Amino acid sequence: MRSRRPLPHGRGSVANGRGTVAISVAIFFFASALVAGAQGFGGQGFGQQSLDHRIDLPHDSPVSLVGDEWGGSAANVRGGAFVLDVRVSLSLRNSSQRRIHGITLAVLAQETAPGGKGSISVPSLDVAPGESFSVRGDLHLLRPISAGTRPMVEVDLDGVLFDDLTFYGPDKLHSRRTMMVWELEARRDRRYFKTLLEQAGREGLQKELVASLSRDADRPQFNVQTVRGRATNADPEHDVQFAFLRFPEAPVEPMDGVARIAGNEARTPKLVVHNRSDRIVRYLEMGWIVRDQQGREFLAATVPAEMRLPPRSSSQILQDAALRFDPRTSIEGMTGFISSVEFMDGSFWIPSRVELDDPTLRRVVAPSPEEQRLVQIYRKKGLNAVIEELKKF
Amino acid sequence: MIKTGMRKVGLRKHVAEADLAVYAAGDLSWWTRPLTHLHVSRCAVCKGRAEAYRADQQRIRELADELPTGLNWDRLAAEMHANIHVGLEAGECVTPRTGKRGIPAGWRVAAAMAGFTALLISAWWLNMPAAQTASLGRAMKAIAHWQISSRGLRFEDSGPLVEATAAGIELRENGSALAVTHGVNSRPVAVSLSVQGSARARYIDSDTGQVTITSVYAQ
Repeated sequence: MRSRRPLPHGRGSVANGRGTVAISVAIFFFASALVAGAQGFGGQGFGQQSLDHRIDLPHDSPVSLVGDEWGGSAANVRGGAFVLDVRVSLSLRNSSQRRIHGITLAVLAQETAPGGKGSISVPSLDVAPGESFSVRGDLHLLRPISAGTRPMVEVDLDGVLFDDLTFYGPDKLHSRRTMMVWELEARRDRRYFKTLLEQAGREGLQKELVASLSRDADRPQFNVQTVRGRATNADPEHDVQFAFLRFPEAPVEPMDGVARIAGNEARTPKLVVHNRSDRIVRYLEMGWIVRDQQGREFLAATVPAEMRLPPRSSSQILQDAALRFDPRTSIEGMTGFISSVEFMDGSFWIPSRVELDDPTLRRVVAPSPEEQRLVQIYRKKGLNAVIEELKKF
Repeated sequence: MIKTGMRKVGLRKHVAEADLAVYAAGDLSWWTRPLTHLHVSRCAVCKGRAEAYRADQQRIRELADELPTGLNWDRLAAEMHANIHVGLEAGECVTPRTGKRGIPAGWRVAAAMAGFTALLISAWWLNMPAAQTASLGRAMKAIAHWQISSRGLRFEDSGPLVEATAAGIELRENGSALAVTHGVNSRPVAVSLSVQGSARARYIDSDTGQVTITSVYAQ
């Protein structure tokens, strides 16, 4: 005879205990599988693959490929994407009839999503027709596995700037604008050093190069993050007004500015600028200097703005972005200055050396790429090499 | 011996008494029943015994149906319950204790849940980006201090973030690096950040002085 009545309580506890152990074991294996799976999915080093690459130069490109070296480039699977370690060295020849003063190459793993696009620029060049030069770069990019079965990176020509300030290229990365500013800064600084050599002699030039070297070493560098259109800080917010460094010769004058500050985060800068020139402004860039609770100042970011600002008129610049600093940093003050202006006719304005001779700017703003190049030549080869370099232009 | 009944059928000529009794009651296992049935249908002796067992069972059922008058089923069930308890208690008394008393079931469940929680925390720690953890921490802190603004809690979204440090520039999303630039065996001489979501790092070749500027773009 079989009984269907429940077992007495003591036996039931034993059975429940066994059930609990079984459930615990099942949960353990399930959770272990979860951990292992998650590790495998999110972890690195799943497998390394060689990197396919393509160099795409237009048929009428002013530069031609002499050689390329991809040693050290690889692709690693991480989750659902390839992490591309791009180490490229290209040897290019100037196949045009003009001297090349700058080049920008776009490095694309995927064009539309974040993390798939980078660029390599070489300013301060002076490559004669027929001469070769090298471009080297080291970037880590991301490419979804779904974008193709093989990891692939493509190097495209984005733009070439010539000595007569003409430009060639698709300019997808707005490299004309940035290379023009670098070139104008280079011309300004070479002219400054040449004048110094003429007026103060070798000692005067050497003194200035040593001072630049010293400023470079002392320049404060803080960790800064920028995010678009959001705030994450739970601290109470308040508005902080911008102070401005005004350049007498600047075609655009900053009039007013404010940003929302919450602890270590500054967001949504609003600036009002006035065009005091006779030309239409289509782009400007402002430098944003931040002062912390200890009185230290550093260049936090640039605020670019595309616009159409007619002569003698004002406009507001609003950027839906946030800057975040080290959590121990408390923002106490902000300073803005106009760093470059592009007019509708394609010409540019940049600050002069006299205007940049402000104690704050000298301390926080990095010198031009050309000044850093000349200082490096001085450090490596001496003053005579710098003088010879200046004579080339 | 029921489980070896079919072999015995072949060896002993007749089915064992116990197997026959179980067969007559219909409780013989399914794998021995066909052979036993085959033997009983052919063997007059075994068939007679099986029928005798069936007749006995029928008689017992009829007697069992004749219940005593005034039988109290609830009382009978209570007595049976009490007898089982007494039996178990008596068994506890005579059985020597070989070890410690088992852990109560409630504690076992608690231990299982603690282990599961530890595994989940490990999985989070190993896989979730630090930025997400920090964001969650900030949100929890805000809840704990009741710092919820009129717009509700502000959580970090999953958009890309561009960072510039003395070591280089980096584009990140959900705490994972999407794009990074490093100089070849060198640190940048300058880094710059644009609020439109791009960053530049400037490197100088120590031999030639050639300047290379690498950039990453959030959009």
